[in-house]
Amino acid sequence: MVKIEDLRRISMFKNSPDHLLEIISKEAKLSIFNTDTQLITIHEKVDTFYMLIMGQVAVIRELTPEIDVILDYVQSGASFGISSIVIGATATYTAICQEPCEVITLSGDRMIELFEENHELAYYMMLDVSRQYKRYMDIRANMILKTLGEKREIKEKIHNIESLSY
Amino acid sequence: MVEKEVLKKIFFLQDLPDPMLEKIAAITEIETFEKDTILFQRDQKLNLLYMLVSGKVLLKINTASGKSLTLDKVTAGRTFGIASLMKESSSSFSATCGETCSIISISGEEIHKLFSEDFKMGHKLMLQVVKLFKSRMERHTSQFLHSLSTHPEIKQLQET
Repeated sequence: MVKIEDLRRISMFKNSPDHLLEIISKEAKLSIFNTDTQLITIHEKVDTFYMLIMGQVAVIRELTPEIDVILDYVQSGASFGISSIVIGATATYTAICQEPCEVITLSGDRMIELFEENHELAYYMMLDVSRQYKRYMDIRANMILKTLGEKREIKEKIHNIESLSY
Repeated sequence: MVEKEVLKKIFFLQDLPDPMLEKIAAITEIETFEKDTILFQRDQKLNLLYMLVSGKVLLKINTASGKSLTLDKVTAGRTFGIASLMKESSSSFSATCGETCSIISISGEEIHKLFSEDFKMGHKLMLQVVKLFKSRMERHTSQFLHSLSTHPEIKQLQET
């Protein structure tokens, strides 16, 4: 169990109603992970929804077999592992602790069960997750534009960014 | 108000049972827009959720150098302007009709009111939004990694 005040330190729960946070607090656990702990592995099922209280987690994708790219550093207050609360979803990145991390965890399977029992909880949680995704998507779109902007030859050749999709 | 049968053509609503579709139908409008009509601009606060019945809509973004990049071509059956479902959220791109379009629109405020009265519906549709964003996020990441992999400095790094 985790205190409601601790859940309020997580951005996505800042404005959530108390009666819903109470339900989440009963299911949540506080864990500490050491540096280099791999919390999420790309393409694998994600069992846990993570909310970072302290520390830093790197979100990593392989660019080539020799080069890994850190797409993002998850900072305190942010959450990750959304795939754990979406049935059938798998991880789209690897997540590794860059330093000792204090993390609130929720079992994805238990949350999916709770969503079926309490649609209000499910609705607000999905709304919060959507807002977080939108922020991440905006950051990612800006990263694409920056990469294109720095590369004169590509910027001139590509008019339609869709051609960059696989 | 839009006929329930028309709403069933929209992928975003396809899993909804008839009683929920009827509630949605009551707050929808359908309109025809000419080619080149700008539906909304980037960074504009979005008040409407759009569903394309026919035609094609281009979602565009401008680079710092002023070049217009088409991020996506929305085809019939698809939904856009999803930021309207996230209160106080603005659009990350502009939307322009690529040809004459028939478009269903729903007020973001009205749909939130509906969700607050029927959380089961709110859960169902916001889960759809999460899935949609997840796949779009993955697509953006692939686009970014692909553009990065062709960067001269990365190529140089691979050669050394």
